[in-house]
Amino acid sequence: MDTVSLILLALGSVTVLSSLGVLLSRDNFYSALYMALTMIFIATTFAVFNIQSAFILISFIFIGAVGIVTVALAAVFRYVPKSIPIDRLWIIPTILTIAVLAYTLYKYATFNLSQASVDISAFQSQYALAVVFLVCLMVLLMISIVKIVRREELCLK
Amino acid sequence: MFEVAIVLITAVVVLLVAYLTAISSRDLIRLLISLEMMFGAVFLALIPVFSIPEMTNTAFGVLVITIFTSSSELLVLIASIVLLNRMTRDVSTDVVSSGGDQL
Repeated sequence: MDTVSLILLALGSVTVLSSLGVLLSRDNFYSALYMALTMIFIATTFAVFNIQSAFILISFIFIGAVGIVTVALAAVFRYVPKSIPIDRLWIIPTILTIAVLAYTLYKYATFNLSQASVDISAFQSQYALAVVFLVCLMVLLMISIVKIVRREELCLK
Repeated sequence: MFEVAIVLITAVVVLLVAYLTAISSRDLIRLLISLEMMFGAVFLALIPVFSIPEMTNTAFGVLVITIFTSSSELLVLIASIVLLNRMTRDVSTDVVSSGGDQL
């Protein structure tokens, strides 16, 4: 095994362990912290392959904004159940599915990953319209949600 | 040699742990956390696409769309949490007895 494979194996292991922390933690706040840790490890995997633009997007927007808002929400609405709410019946099919998929991927996905870099100027020219549409969609969604919340406020009064 | 297998197996495990968390969740916060873990698994699954030179920009486009989608999901779930808390003083999904709009 070369160095990159070893780093990936270590990163993959800690990613899986921290995601198990989300599942097994009783407190939502700690679950959210474990989730942020999982996201940081995922972003680090991008950094291993020198995909800097994706690393920056994930670490600054996905972890820095979405992840931290989730941690803040979990801290505000802190909820600790008496027992870990895991539906035990679903654990067996989940482990079976993981085993089958892991064996299939280990057997057939054998090509090496190469280091890639994103051409931002080409991306801007190719996907400018898509990004504009996405921004419009976000604004429409925000307006819709504000209308729904106001309508519900009036109903509650 | 098995770099792509390691990345994809990690993505599969994270995705299925997120599914298990979503199935077992009893409140909206845990549901939000599990949905974000699912998006994390999607990011991991995109790494092999980045290593194909012709598909690099497409993979970056999918990444941007995924981040927009996760932000939208966060927005909708924050509104749901706030509304449910105002109505029931609780964020547990057990208090929701029926779904859908009333006609």
